Amino acid sequence: MSNWAEIVKANDFAAHASASEGKILVNLTGTADLTVKSHLDSFLLEVHAEAQRRQAGVVTVDVRQLQFMNSSCLKSLVWWISTVQERPSEGRYRIVFLSNPALRWQLRSLNSIACIASDIVSVQA
Amino acid sequence: MREGTTLSFGLQIQPQPRMVSIVRRFVEESFEKLVGDPEAVFRVSLAVHELLENAAKYAVGDQTGLSVHFEADGSAARIRLTNQSTPEHIARLRASIEEIQSSDEPFALYQTLMRRTAGVEHESGLGLARIRAEGELDLSLEIDSLMVTITASRAPLRINANE
Repeated sequence: MSNWAEIVKANDFAAHASASEGKILVNLTGTADLTVKSHLDSFLLEVHAEAQRRQAGVVTVDVRQLQFMNSSCLKSLVWWISTVQERPSEGRYRIVFLSNPALRWQLRSLNSIACIASDIVSVQA
Repeated sequence: MREGTTLSFGLQIQPQPRMVSIVRRFVEESFEKLVGDPEAVFRVSLAVHELLENAAKYAVGDQTGLSVHFEADGSAARIRLTNQSTPEHIARLRASIEEIQSSDEPFALYQTLMRRTAGVEHESGLGLARIRAEGELDLSLEIDSLMVTITASRAPLRINANE
């Protein structure tokens, strides 16, 4: 397992990524709001580039400790998912969200995202 | 808590990004102890967050007024946010809320907007649609010159008209 992405920390938000063989694990914690939107954008760009470089089959995004995500940051996720969707089939990878049912925003928002890209996105409780 | 009790508070704050999550947490933590419906508290705190972020991004001037009214049983709520804005933003706001109001399928519209705004920088365009779709709140807009008031509400409240 190698840690390749810089840990992003701003306010109480943190993002971290690591890779092992064909899998990438992303961990988002804290609160993703307007104050961290640009950090999240840069981070997701890096995750996507690394997934492409490693020809990853799946990127797992653990949001179980992500207390809240605002609409601007949700849009960042949508941008990322759309970018993957637009790739030729051989360049695509799956995105799996590990969710926490106790955090009410996750049930609604992650399912909303999954609905626009059910071919590559899934949500696990 | 007596049935039919209305809980209310109002704030005058500077619409700064760092204030938004602080106020949302305040709403969540305060009402969780007073309102018997966690789903209702979630809907209101979501609306507070997205409305305040709109103000943080687009308000002119240093004051934004926020008021929250809540039926203690969670059956009804009203969130109002008032601030000054620019004619350009008011026009966008009016179009956005008209589109949301005219849609019979808020969730479908929300997803359409997700796709439509995915490549648009500097404007989410999702916050109000999220309030309608995920927060299940109705939206309305009042404009007085350059002062705008956005109201997110669910079911009628017994509130005096001059509040």
